[in-house]
Amino acid sequence: MSLGKYLALDKIANFFTVIKQNGGIRGSLYKMYRQDDLKDGVLVGQDEFGNKYYENPRFFFGRNRWVEYSDNFNMDYDGSQVTAEWFGWLHYKTDLPPHEDPSRPKYKWMVPFTENMSGTTGQYTPYSTTRPKIEPWVPPRKSSV
Amino acid sequence: MQRMLRQPLTRALALSSPSRAAPLAARRYAEVVPQPDKVEVFIDDKPVYVPPGTTVLQAAAQVGVEIPRFCYHERLAVAGNCRMCLVEVEKSPKPVAACAMPVMKGMRVKTNSDLTRKAREGVMEFLLVNHPLDCPICDQGGECDLQDQSMAFGSDKSRFTDIHFSGKRAVEDKDVGPLIKTIMTRCIHCTRCIRFASEVAGVDDLGTTGRGTDMQVGTYVEKMFLSELSGNIIDLCPVGALTSKPYSFVARPWETRRIDSVDVLDPLGSNIVVTTRTNEVLRILPRTNEEINEEWLSDKSRFACDGLKRQRLVTPLMTDSRGNLTPVEWEDAIVAAARALRDCPPDKLLAVAGDMADAESLVALKDLVNRLGSELVCTEQYFPLEGSGIDLRSTYLLNTGIANVEEADFVLLIGTNVRFEAPLLNTRIRKAFMHKETDVALIGPQVDLTYDYMHVGDSASIVKDLASGTSSHEVVRKLEQAKRPVVILGADQLKTSEGAALLAYTQELALRLQDKLQDKEWKVLNVLQRTASQVAALDIGYKPGVGAHLSNAKVVYLLGADSGVVTRDSLPKDAVVIYQGHHGDVGASIADVVLPGAAYTEKRATYVNAEGRAQQTLPAVTAPGKAREDWKIISVQKPMSGKLDVQLKSLEDYFMTDAISRASPTMAKCVQAVLKQKQATY
Amino acid sequence: MIAARNFIFNLVKFDRLKSTKCIRRYSQGKCPEEETPPCVPFNPCAPAYPVNFCKPRTKYDVTFVYINDVPPKSGGKDIVDRASQIVFWTELVRGFAVTLGHMFKEPATINYPFEKGPISPRYRGEHALRRYPTGEERCIACKLCEAVCPAQAITIDAEERDDGSRRAIRYDIDLTKCIFCGYCQEACPVDAIVEGPNFEYSTETHEELIYNKEKLLGNGDRWEPEIASSIRDTHLYR
Repeated sequence: MSLGKYLALDKIANFFTVIKQNGGIRGSLYKMYRQDDLKDGVLVGQDEFGNKYYENPRFFFGRNRWVEYSDNFNMDYDGSQVTAEWFGWLHYKTDLPPHEDPSRPKYKWMVPFTENMSGTTGQYTPYSTTRPKIEPWVPPRKSSV
Repeated sequence: MQRMLRQPLTRALALSSPSRAAPLAARRYAEVVPQPDKVEVFIDDKPVYVPPGTTVLQAAAQVGVEIPRFCYHERLAVAGNCRMCLVEVEKSPKPVAACAMPVMKGMRVKTNSDLTRKAREGVMEFLLVNHPLDCPICDQGGECDLQDQSMAFGSDKSRFTDIHFSGKRAVEDKDVGPLIKTIMTRCIHCTRCIRFASEVAGVDDLGTTGRGTDMQVGTYVEKMFLSELSGNIIDLCPVGALTSKPYSFVARPWETRRIDSVDVLDPLGSNIVVTTRTNEVLRILPRTNEEINEEWLSDKSRFACDGLKRQRLVTPLMTDSRGNLTPVEWEDAIVAAARALRDCPPDKLLAVAGDMADAESLVALKDLVNRLGSELVCTEQYFPLEGSGIDLRSTYLLNTGIANVEEADFVLLIGTNVRFEAPLLNTRIRKAFMHKETDVALIGPQVDLTYDYMHVGDSASIVKDLASGTSSHEVVRKLEQAKRPVVILGADQLKTSEGAALLAYTQELALRLQDKLQDKEWKVLNVLQRTASQVAALDIGYKPGVGAHLSNAKVVYLLGADSGVVTRDSLPKDAVVIYQGHHGDVGASIADVVLPGAAYTEKRATYVNAEGRAQQTLPAVTAPGKAREDWKIISVQKPMSGKLDVQLKSLEDYFMTDAISRASPTMAKCVQAVLKQKQATY
Repeated sequence: MIAARNFIFNLVKFDRLKSTKCIRRYSQGKCPEEETPPCVPFNPCAPAYPVNFCKPRTKYDVTFVYINDVPPKSGGKDIVDRASQIVFWTELVRGFAVTLGHMFKEPATINYPFEKGPISPRYRGEHALRRYPTGEERCIACKLCEAVCPAQAITIDAEERDDGSRRAIRYDIDLTKCIFCGYCQEACPVDAIVEGPNFEYSTETHEELIYNKEKLLGNGDRWEPEIASSIRDTHLYR
């Protein structure tokens, strides 16, 4: 154990790195407000929504990968905004980020990812996909109008 | 052609005839066969005594051992080509096919030995080599003999590697019409369909071409399988090669409910199983009844069930001010109908029952009309009222009985195409023709009945000549020589002006033949009705035919009368037509008030078939929309009159109501006490 | 004197449990050679082990180890020890010390929704209906999933499509009935119905959880990259 670490100097150094990486005092306060946490890490990639994915092995497993939701979402960030491509990486299913994984299929019929729309006007409402079971008889019209 | 077929088949069937007769219960008239000595055979060391000529498979069935089979079917000739029924027989070097092997004295059969099991596994492996693994999209999945037997008797592992080389055999599908879907790759060449077509249906359309791997079952040239019994080959097919086209991909057998019922689309009242799911009739299958339909069902009865979902009356309708039928509530419709009935003069009230009216609603309607003072209840089908009319039940029934037609040795058909009027009666006649040397004669238009018959002519006068005995035709001699003659008269002929005479002459002919018979229980005269409701209606006391009452009717109550006998033109201008039924057809389109009823799959109802057998349908699904059971609709229209009254009004009435309480001194004291109390001032 | 030493020692070493307890399991019938406990506690004042520690009385009870706290002793030294701990509020001080220490420690919780816990490739989440690479839907409406579903959450209506192929006209899953057992994806002969990795599909109303065929196919179209990679990861077990 080096002397610096013994005196927790590395912690102080980390503190300054974190502040610097998160955009100075002002940026750090904003992120602290938005995310309740400040971390430093390596930017691994970015998805189609603009969410940024970071990694820092200094933190323990479970905290060493994280997402910073795009500023477009403001405070309306939600767990379901992580796209399907990045879902596996963020949940430690795979170590390969999607852009480095050659086996990921890209088919024409795939549709862009959408977040959980419940509670909004875009929410899913169930409807029947079948035809009615009974076709009633429609009496012939004897007179028009 | 028919003659050619007749001889070898008779012989082939004679092989297995003793036990073929066994399940057919109602054989009162069967010839008394001298009981041959029975032989003892051992099935899995269990002794069983069977008549010689019985096959090993039938002997095993008698001790409750079921030998797996694909090609063998008890109502068809033995083919012996699937080899699934191979069993080990002691002292026989190779396994033998149980379905074709007659038993021998002291034979020891092992149906579960290693050799037997190995033989079955081998046969199953060969069958599966060329059977596609498409069970998930196969309609037979879940009720497939091949699936079941491969689970029970097949090997648990596969050695099939051919898929990497030549692949599985594939056969082009045949187009055999709108009822049967063929997926010929699944065919295992059991030839049950071919045997059914040529033996029972009498249509030699199906056959095999090629041999070995190239063998195909088909119609040789692309044509429709032209038979009124074609649906039965779907039931017969042990795999999914022949499936029902209207039912394709509709449901799986494990998710359906099966409700026993009775068919009403032809006069025979075949027993059926209605298969339903989520309150929807999906398909109709035959239910075995040896007295009526054996295990067959005619195509109309089987496939017309999708009509139960179309053109339905789901809500009461009434004509509005513009004359258009518009949906209304039950209350309005019932009140309107009851008011029309109430205000109608009794002699101008007419009720007409249709083809599919059940006995309960017929009775309810007759009660209603009678209570209103009218006797004008009638059916659409006419029947002559001259002579004894419909007073004797035997004048309008199929007296011989459907099953007993098989025992006849001469059948005379007068003015009926049995093949299409009652297809399953025709199969009985054909069965008698094929297996019993029965001869058939026909008076009427020359039609294809699937068997050879003597065409006597198409003139009604022939019947008169036959009845009076003045005819010199060959048929007279045959009729008089016959020990069990059957005369079947088509009810359609009675509609004409000559109908009464035709019926009288036919009755006379039958009577003359009847008198000569030795077997006094045998009935000769048969009238084949056309509809399922006619016999019940005549039993209940409906008058056959609408007659002249129509022209001055004021209110006409149609109970499912859709055959077009009642039209707007035949009615006075101001007549009110109340139609009660389940489909929007001829009747509903001329009606002023439409009351939606239930179809035969939706109600518990009694029907009487052409031979006078009362049978009950069971509700398989609920009636659609606001429709209700028919008898209930009629009974709520009954007019109410007078006040309600109760017998027990005060306490003294209560104490003495029956013999015991009247004899009781205590009760007498109570009554006295009560009366005394009433006179008291307090 | 001893009490004072103990006090100082306890301040330094918060975690007394660690030093006073020693748990080791032995395989049946085997016992260490020496009578002394095999793992020597750091604390010299730690109470002695029960006498019967790992001494087999019968051949069955050798794997039992006494791990409970030793009941307080009533010797003079022990009484003085306890009295001094009460007088000097050592427990209070130790408690605050633990709290203070944790302020500088890394938190043990994860900060959802920014950080997420690990899930398995076999995770059974929200359902989806898949397609073939050509875009043709896989489901053939064989109804095996409907039959196997223990909660009867699946409803299927099949129909013959215009091209003669067997397809589902209705494929409804009631996710409020579903117990997420995964039998449906096990039963499926064409890998059509799968339970995807998504678990973030909570809704505000009940009806939104009654999925129909279009919704399930839409799920499949959105989640296909993840579903495909899960299936690839688990192919050895299928």
